Parts: sequence; C-alpha cells; structure tokens
Amino acid sequence: MRKKRTYFNLLVGRPQAYPSMPSHIRGIHMGNAPGRYSPSAGMRRGRDGVLLVTARRSTGINPRRRNPIDPSSPNLAPP
Amino acid sequence: MAMASTTSQSQLVEMSWDPVTRIIGNLGIHTKIDFGTRRVVECKATSSIFRGYSVFLRGKDPRDSHFITSRICGICGDNHATCSVYAQNMAYGIKTPVLAEWIYNLGEAAEYMFDHTLFQDNLVFVDFCERMVKETNPGVWERAEKTEAKNAHIHGYRTIADIMRAFNPFTGEYYKTALEMSRLTREMFCLMEGRHVHPSTLYPGGVGIVGSPQVFTDYLSRLVRYTDFIKKSIPLNDDVFDFFYEALPGYEEVGRRRILLGCWGAFQDPEHVDYRYETMTRWGRKMFVTPGIVVDGELVTTDLVEINLGMRILLGNSYYEDWVNGEVFVSHDPLGNPVDPRHPWNQTTIPKPQRRDLENGPYSWVMSPRWHDERTGEYLALDTGGGPLARLWVTALANRVHTPYVESTGHSVRIRLPKSASFPEMEFEWKVPKWANTIERNRARAYFLGYATAMAFHFVEQALNCIRRGDVKVFQDFEVPDEAIGVGFHEAVRGVLSHHLVIRNGRIANYHPYPPTPWNASPRDVYGTPGPYEDAVQGMPLFEENGPENFKGIDIMRTVRSFDPCLPCGVHMFLGNGKTIRQVHSPMLGLAGGAG
Repeated sequence: MRKKRTYFNLLVGRPQAYPSMPSHIRGIHMGNAPGRYSPSAGMRRGRDGVLLVTARRSTGINPRRRNPIDPSSPNLAPP
Repeated sequence: MAMASTTSQSQLVEMSWDPVTRIIGNLGIHTKIDFGTRRVVECKATSSIFRGYSVFLRGKDPRDSHFITSRICGICGDNHATCSVYAQNMAYGIKTPVLAEWIYNLGEAAEYMFDHTLFQDNLVFVDFCERMVKETNPGVWERAEKTEAKNAHIHGYRTIADIMRAFNPFTGEYYKTALEMSRLTREMFCLMEGRHVHPSTLYPGGVGIVGSPQVFTDYLSRLVRYTDFIKKSIPLNDDVFDFFYEALPGYEEVGRRRILLGCWGAFQDPEHVDYRYETMTRWGRKMFVTPGIVVDGELVTTDLVEINLGMRILLGNSYYEDWVNGEVFVSHDPLGNPVDPRHPWNQTTIPKPQRRDLENGPYSWVMSPRWHDERTGEYLALDTGGGPLARLWVTALANRVHTPYVESTGHSVRIRLPKSASFPEMEFEWKVPKWANTIERNRARAYFLGYATAMAFHFVEQALNCIRRGDVKVFQDFEVPDEAIGVGFHEAVRGVLSHHLVIRNGRIANYHPYPPTPWNASPRDVYGTPGPYEDAVQGMPLFEENGPENFKGIDIMRTVRSFDPCLPCGVHMFLGNGKTIRQVHSPMLGLAGGAG
C-alpha cells in the first residue's frame, strides 16, 4: 500500500501522476493507430484511394433509400 | 502603461514604456530621447517573463505537443497548433488528406481575418483616433478636418477627421463595427477548428470535423458578410495613411529600418504538400503565401530548407546560459546538410534569472534569433513587418501565387474580391512600397486581410469540390516512430512561426517553437546587432507636438505597435531604481483614463 501523508489537515495518498506524464496510457487503443479510421460505417475507398461516403454514415435506417438515385451523382451525406 | 522620465546629462531624457499597452504580453520599451533634435537616440526592448515551453515539453508524448503549444498564445494559439501539426506530420511521415488541408487553410484564413481586424481596428487605430491625434498633434487634427477623404464614396466618411472620429475607442462607429467583425470571423474559425483560440479538432494526420456541405456554406455566408467590410476597410486605411504622409512630411522615416523581412509561408497546397523534409523546397514554394527572405528589397530565397538551415539562436543580452557545448540533437538534416549547434533543433534552454542591466546587459528574456546569410556571413535581424508586410512583399516578388482571387505579379499582389451585398466585384493591388516603416506595416495589414478573404473564397470552392466528388476523408492514421525529427513552418498572425521537434524513444527530446516576436523583439545579440524594435525606434524623428512634460511618445508607440507585438503573457510593471514617476496615463482614454 502506498504511503499516506498529511497535507494541511487532509490525509492524502501518493500522487499517481507526474508533470511529464503522457496523455496516452499503454494498452489503450490509440485513435491514430493504423486501421482505426477507415472502417467506419458508410465509408469506402474509391478507385483512386479517396475515401467515399454513403448515407450509411448518417443513418442506419434504410440508408440505401437515401443515397442518390443516379449513382454518378455526388453523395452529400449530412454529418 | 507607465511613463517614467529622468533627466540625465545634456539634453537627453530617458523615457520608458513598460509595459506597453494595447499589445499582447509584457513588452518594455526604454529610450533615450534628445528633445533638442527631436530624435530617439537609443532604444532597448525588454521582456520580463519566462515561459519555458521548450523546457517542460521534454519527455512528453509528441502527440500532445499541438495542444500544449497552442497555449503559448491567447490570440494566435491555433497558429501554434497548426505549426506543431505540420512538424508532427513530418516526424510521423504523414500526408494529410486533401479536404483536411483545405479545412486547415480555411481555419487559418479566418484567424488572420479575426486577429488582424481586432488588432488593426481596435488597437492600432486608437493611435490614429480623434482624441489621440488632438492630444499629440493638434495641427494635424486641424488639417484632417479640412481634408476630404479620397475614397469617401466607398467607405462613407467625408473627411479624414470623420474617419478618425470613427476610430475612437468604445464610441467610434468603425471601432464598433470591427468588434462585430471579430465575432463573425471567430465563428468562421470555430466552424473549421472547433474552438477559438485553442483548436479542439486539429490533429497530426488531419482534422476531427466532418466535412459536410453545410459547414462550408455556413462559413461562406459569413465570409461574404466580411467581404463587405473589408471592401470598405482597405480604401479607408489608404486614406488615413496617405494623409499622414501628406500632413507630416518626413513621416516615412518613423519606424523605418533596413528592409530585412522574413516570411515562412502559409496555406499549404494539398496537391503538393507531403510534409517530407526532402521535398520541402518544392512544396514550400507551392504554398499560397510564399515563404522567403527579402534583404534590401531583393528576394534572397524562397527555399524552406535554406531558410531552416540559416536559422541561428544567438544570446548576448538574454537571461540564458549558453548551450553551445551541450548535446547536439541533430548534426545533419535528412538531406545530409550540417546543422549548426545554434540551430533550434540543437538548442537547450538554460534559464539564468538575474537583475536587469539596461546599460551593459542582459536585459531581456527574449533570445536573439537571426538568419545567417551565407552570401555575406551576416547574422541578419529579420523582422516580420508585423506579418503582412513580409508576407505580401515575399509573395509579390516571388511571383508564384496564381489563383482566381489572388495573383502575384513580381512587383505587386492583386486581390480580387467577388460581389457581396453592398459592393460589386472589386480589385485591390498591393504594390511593393519604397520603405519598411510604420505606415507601410500598418497598411499591409489591411491589404492582407483582403488577401486572406480572397484566398478563403478559393479554399471554400476547393473544399466544396472535394465534397461534391465524394472525397470526404479528413484524417490519415499513423504510428509514432521511436526516433524522428520534424519542422513546421507557418505564419502566425504577426509573422514567421517555426516549430522544431526531435523525438527519441517515442517521446519529445527537444522542442523549440520560434514565433514572430522573438525575431521582432529580440535584444542586442552577441555581435551588438539591435533587434528590429530597437533598430526601428532608434534614430527615428519625432513628430509629436508635445514637449517632454506631457510627452506621450505616440510616434514610438505607433512604431512598436506596427510590428503587432505579442509577448504572451503576463502582467508586469517595472519602474527602475531611483526613477520618479512624473506622469501616469492610459492610452485607452475614455472609461479607463488615468488607470495606467
């Protein structure tokens, strides 16, 4: 057990953080890690590597009905 | 602001402004003025606060650095975040998606619009307002009342005096409109970067917002409103500044210094930037504000690699110990070029607090960044001209920016602003001026607002093109390497900004941000070369009509403020030993008068 000490009239434990502690904790998934971004629902990779979206990005309810009728039209999925 | 004066030998009078108000941070200007010849004989610029970012960034996760360095400044923190992201992109080997780059550019354009408007119209123009001019130059005020404004048909103010009335703080019409515009442009900024002034949606690899048609049209609708304002503002600025040249012959000498301008470039072109050091020369030249160095009116380089390798951090009159025999973090750049021990990659900050000695030094916490000119061997004290002057000057001479809205010509920059609610399409041309002086620094700020506005139209169109073709990728995943170096070059609102990063064991081993104010506010270096503020003020003539008893130092303050000083961030007042305060006043007039 960590040693406790009295700080003014409070009994406190040893600090578990230090000023140069990084924000990332080992073992936790990192947002920047390869493969974490592209598989989101409603996103797919186009022919020249660009990431394209469909209405599935915005809704899970009948998303295909909300895609443009003409496949050559731009898909302007709301956020 | 406190003004302390002491009469010493002969006719010299010591005058100090410490801290200078209506700027950011704590800058002290200490002068010796000869009231016989009405000239400033000597000037020293001091900063009395130590920040220590380069010290406490060591050992941290490099992915935190843009969030931490953003806190360097309370007005242009996003410039630091962006620059840090650029440096990290290089270190991690990331090429950011196209749409993300347009979003960065849109956010930064909004920041320039916000910050320059706030500074120029709400802070600088107090020095040119009715009440200030009446107090310092009653003769000029009389003339202003009789002088018709050439561009009155655009901005609506019949005489120069009418314009000056509109500048009055808190009550002037133009002052109040500018405040509204600051709010509007901040909203534009927040649409792109999440939060002002410490962005929450910028990351190495991209951004965290979802690029949708709505977010860009929201931005565009505000941009068109702002365009109306800037179309009035540029001719109004021209009227005021041209009037000062006419009313006070010789005013071009105020704040004039040798033309030594540095610009590190802004607005990446996503078609070309890959953030690799090896290709930095090429993609740097594709930026929509060209990086470069102008010496005596001649464009010396536009090569970011050359700019990077020429950087030197000198000491001489700063409160630091020398590090030159310490650890060398980067001996050669990725192209194999040797890197100097005084380069920011190799700098170690060793603070040495001590008493200020204005006579023999040291006297400032600011170091002395210089650029080593290989041609002459000189260590040049570059300034930024407040930011816009250097940006426009380099972009004009480099002749590399050719967009539908902004065109550089080799000797000027043409800015085309599309139709807006009150005005048809209008074109403005910023021409390379004869001098790098107070008036031209201020004038360039107004033109650069037009530049940022025009470029924002281009960026919005490009971003919407991405959306229309369904390319909405805004983030590129990456891994943090164990060992890497990176450098980011950007333009903070008030000038050059670089972040130099060294990663070892996945942690920051060395990190040095160099914002514009260390360049501008640097003290005399080890070779005795004064910093740009000191150089610009020293030797300048004074046109203020007041004598030493009620001297305000308006010409000196106009000069210092023309550089848009930003020494974040502290409150400090130093009056010196044995000096007597003769007068305390507030330059804000009105409500705060007498508060100091």
